[in-house]
Amino acid sequence: MTVIVSLGKFLGWIGFLTLFHSAYSTYEHLSYLKAVEKIPNEMPIEITVECLISIVIFAISIIMVAGPLKPILMKDEMTKKTIDKVDIRPNFNTFNHRCRSMRSLVN
Amino acid sequence: MSPFYYKTAFETLQELRKSGERNPELVVTLGGKIIYEGYTGKLGDEVWSVYEQVFIAALDYRNDALAETCLERLEKKFPKSPRVKILTGMKLEAEDKLDEALELYDEILKNDDSNIATIKRRIAVFKAKGQDQRAIEALTHYLDAFYNDAETWLELSSLYLNYHLYQQAGFCLEELILLQPQNHLYHLKYAEILYTNDNITNINLALKEFCRVLELCEDHVRALYGVKLCTSRLLNLSSSSSIDFKTISDLNSLASERLSKVYSLYSKNKVGNSNNELRQIIHDWLNESDKSY
Repeated sequence: MTVIVSLGKFLGWIGFLTLFHSAYSTYEHLSYLKAVEKIPNEMPIEITVECLISIVIFAISIIMVAGPLKPILMKDEMTKKTIDKVDIRPNFNTFNHRCRSMRSLVN
Repeated sequence: MSPFYYKTAFETLQELRKSGERNPELVVTLGGKIIYEGYTGKLGDEVWSVYEQVFIAALDYRNDALAETCLERLEKKFPKSPRVKILTGMKLEAEDKLDEALELYDEILKNDDSNIATIKRRIAVFKAKGQDQRAIEALTHYLDAFYNDAETWLELSSLYLNYHLYQQAGFCLEELILLQPQNHLYHLKYAEILYTNDNITNINLALKEFCRVLELCEDHVRALYGVKLCTSRLLNLSSSSSIDFKTISDLNSLASERLSKVYSLYSKNKVGNSNNELRQIIHDWLNESDKSY
């Protein structure tokens, strides 16, 4: 299980690097266009593809890191409860039970 | 000496705090070790809740030294806190000084009229003194204002049940079902109170409630037994044809079938003669009760 988690974290880092690389390439491309004085309305397709690939890598890494799903239905949680657990009223507990006398015997 | 797994101890204490169950021996053992061997530093801010929890468990277990230690440290940290005053009041209750505890709680209530914990402790003192009438009055007064407090409705219903006031106890359970309709255990309690309060309308309603428990929690054995008891009582009671004979006897046989299924599954997982005996007894009883109709 932890192999998958660490692999997922590693992929997460790769995805982050890919995203950062595509963002920096966009910035560089825009400054190049500004330097050459062309209108910045077209992005080279490689940068777009790299951004989309980074999303896919992130998705895979998050699924790997997240771990096993926990049950969400109230029904599953409730079937495990016993009737003793329902009758707990901690705020109304009284202390005049037999332990009061019995402890002095034990001690 | 084996190492003290304090992390597991902290987690166990936290679980017990969350569920609210009363297990003083475990809490006092773990808490005593944590406090006397100096693991409190590793707790951080959680330490005050742990002190409170260990204090209450020490009162239950009559470990006065541990209770004193916890109370001292809490008082040093929170000098004028009403919550710590309530803990002092609990200590008086545990020492059987109930009137002084009552005075202390009344004093807190004079400053702050709606301190819920104090109101509840007052009710606990009335219960300890045996003044159930005053406890019931105080509970109804509190529930008029704070009607969505499930624990208090349960307390009131249990007080009514002590005096066999089944109709009033049923009313409390109805309020609980309104608050948490998906909790099958409230339906179960309600059904059992109705069945005990024995008349035709109640048994009909009890049957419906037992079926509701089965709907919410599949194959709940206690509810299956409840269905069997209700159906056999209805079939015995009704002299006229005011009930739907076919539906009720069908429910009866369905309950028997599910019960035998559950018990055969149960004994498949365990080995030993006692379980075979149990299965045999259940089968015989089911067959007997089915034969009468």
